[in-house]
Amino acid sequence: MGKVTLCSDWLDVCSGCHMSLLDIDERIIELVKHVQLLSTPVTDLKHPPEEGCDVGILTGAVSNDHQEEVARRMRERCKVLIAVGDCAVTGGICTMRNFFDVEEVLRRGYVETESTDEGQEVPRSEEIAKLFPQVKAVNQVVKVDLHIPGCPPPADALWYAITELLAGRTPVLTDDLLTYD
Amino acid sequence: MPDVRVTIDGAEGSVPAGITVLEACRKLGIEVPTLCDHPAIAPIGACRICLVEIEKQRALQPACTFPVSDGMVVHTRSDRVADARRFVLQLLFSERNHFCMFCQMSGSCDLQDLAYDYGLDHWEFDRAFPRLGVDASREFFVMDHNRCILCRRCVRVCDELVGNATLGVKHRGAETMIIADMDVPFGDSSCISCGTCLQVCPTGALGDRASAYMGATDEISRVKSTCTGCSVGCGVELVVRQGRVIRVEGDWDAPPSDGLLCEVGRFGLQHDKRRRARNPRMRQGDGWVEASWDDALAAAAKGLAAAGGDICTLVSSTATNEMGVAIAAKLPGIKQQLGAVLLDDSAGLAAMDEADLFVVVGADLTVDHQVASFSVKRGVRHRGARLMLVCDGDNGLAPWAFKQVGLDEAASVLDVIKGAQAPVIVYDAKAASAARAIAEAVPAAKCVAFTDGANTKGLAAAGVAEAFAGGGAKAYLVVAGEAKSASERVMAVLEKAEFVAVQASYAEPWAKVADVILPMPTMWEKSGTITSADGVQREVRGAVAFEGLSDVTTIERLGALLS
Repeated sequence: MGKVTLCSDWLDVCSGCHMSLLDIDERIIELVKHVQLLSTPVTDLKHPPEEGCDVGILTGAVSNDHQEEVARRMRERCKVLIAVGDCAVTGGICTMRNFFDVEEVLRRGYVETESTDEGQEVPRSEEIAKLFPQVKAVNQVVKVDLHIPGCPPPADALWYAITELLAGRTPVLTDDLLTYD
Repeated sequence: MPDVRVTIDGAEGSVPAGITVLEACRKLGIEVPTLCDHPAIAPIGACRICLVEIEKQRALQPACTFPVSDGMVVHTRSDRVADARRFVLQLLFSERNHFCMFCQMSGSCDLQDLAYDYGLDHWEFDRAFPRLGVDASREFFVMDHNRCILCRRCVRVCDELVGNATLGVKHRGAETMIIADMDVPFGDSSCISCGTCLQVCPTGALGDRASAYMGATDEISRVKSTCTGCSVGCGVELVVRQGRVIRVEGDWDAPPSDGLLCEVGRFGLQHDKRRRARNPRMRQGDGWVEASWDDALAAAAKGLAAAGGDICTLVSSTATNEMGVAIAAKLPGIKQQLGAVLLDDSAGLAAMDEADLFVVVGADLTVDHQVASFSVKRGVRHRGARLMLVCDGDNGLAPWAFKQVGLDEAASVLDVIKGAQAPVIVYDAKAASAARAIAEAVPAAKCVAFTDGANTKGLAAAGVAEAFAGGGAKAYLVVAGEAKSASERVMAVLEKAEFVAVQASYAEPWAKVADVILPMPTMWEKSGTITSADGVQREVRGAVAFEGLSDVTTIERLGALLS
């Protein structure tokens, strides 16, 4: 049997969830015996291949049209989609901006930030992704097969989920593996 | 009523008729999750997390409000029940803005615990992200409406237990909001900052400022002790993390107040802004020098000895009985208490919950014995008891009183008091003689007499029975504890004295009169007993270490040097 193929990508995210994945430490050697990483944000190849993969991992919330595109592409190209981390699962800390209008958020970020020089403007370009009015969880955009919440999820939860999937079982997070913070 | 037979999850049992299914479950050792229910208040079935399946009932029923009946068969763990509870949790999480990752109560939240228990790994429903405010207008704790699940525990404890009825709700359905009074900022409301709502909040909606992010449930320990803020003697739980008391809570299992505390007991010491006296120090010229315990004790003993036998020890009533014994036995000279001494026999606080007429004489319970004022307020609000104030001037309980007369008019109301079924006369040292006169005229009345300070009675029993009598000694030892002030009379005498040694937890306000300051543990750091107004001895347990000589050791060492 060939290796299970895995792709991961990140959306609106601090990257902590991918750090948590790296926190499985030496178990990563065991992991690559069974799993082939096709694309991740921290390796050379960034995009899941057109021919698809077995498992897709998305971290982060869906905040703009680019991220929605990334989420849809991952969904199309993977068999099992895992939403990892509070942002992917619930929108998480990114949803703090849901209490403000998008223009307010942009102004705060690009103009009013304490370290911003005077006279700066919000960059406007067709090439820049458009913020949605509301930050969404991944499952509000595409179907998600497994949720692993946590900010970030414990490395043990990720390891457990992956090994359960490899064993052909549906992971059920309990005790310390299920956490929202 | 005879007991009824119930079967819960296959276990048959006999339980008292009239109790709820939830109480029956608990009697049979079966756990049912709750959020809005709290043992100290009446159930209202607001949150629906305790839904259970009761045979012959069409729908699932909330266990907290449903009464048991004979032959009832209940299932608390069926799939139908578990699904319903999971659905309730999904609804609760979808309604407002619950984000554990930056919530100060993460790790100490009933809602979060239940979501873990029921395996919620994502939210099934879209959320509305309502723009809700945070009310931080109160000094000690904050109301974050984003985390509120509208269980109304806060509303009910404020009404049923504290009797203050500051909290309520406005609007209905998804628009419902917890408000204070007629929807004013909490800090501008009739709130008395007793913090009972804070203690019962099952989520992060009410958060303590001092202990925010300071320790979750599995990082803290609890030490049961007694508050030495006044002579009521409320039971407290000191919440400790890494050698620090991060928060004080009421001990639900401890008489006399059964979990209630006032602002002083809950927040007083935590928010005391004075600098702690940590090292012994001695006056040198215009300034102070820190000294070793040996040197400071020697200096204190030398100064006191220089007065010959003309020494007076003034003791704050925060001192324990053990301190009273040590002071009486080991120290020469006369011993007096800093505050007024009232040694009248007193019924316990429980007597006030039986009263149909409160006669409060002279005392302002809302200031000096706040937890006793809760008994009056809830009696008036919920039992139809009446309050008569016999006092001159303003009184915080005036809005609850049906009649107020001056102290010299006490005779005019004796007939009203005699007509009551269970009158209780409440007083303190301010108008003790007027109260005694009323009590003599109405022998059926019970008396609840609060002494000033906390352990006045215990110190008196140990041999420090007199109140400060105007001075006259050459040298003074002031055992001040946490006392924030002494009367002007005392301070004037101390200023003129030849030598003053002070044993205190804080240098203020003693630094201006003292020649030597010996650090003293606070009520969080010392152990011993106190005797509260009702004559009951209660234990004070140190929850955190005190770096220095214990309160009693200091007195014993000083006594040895003086003998």
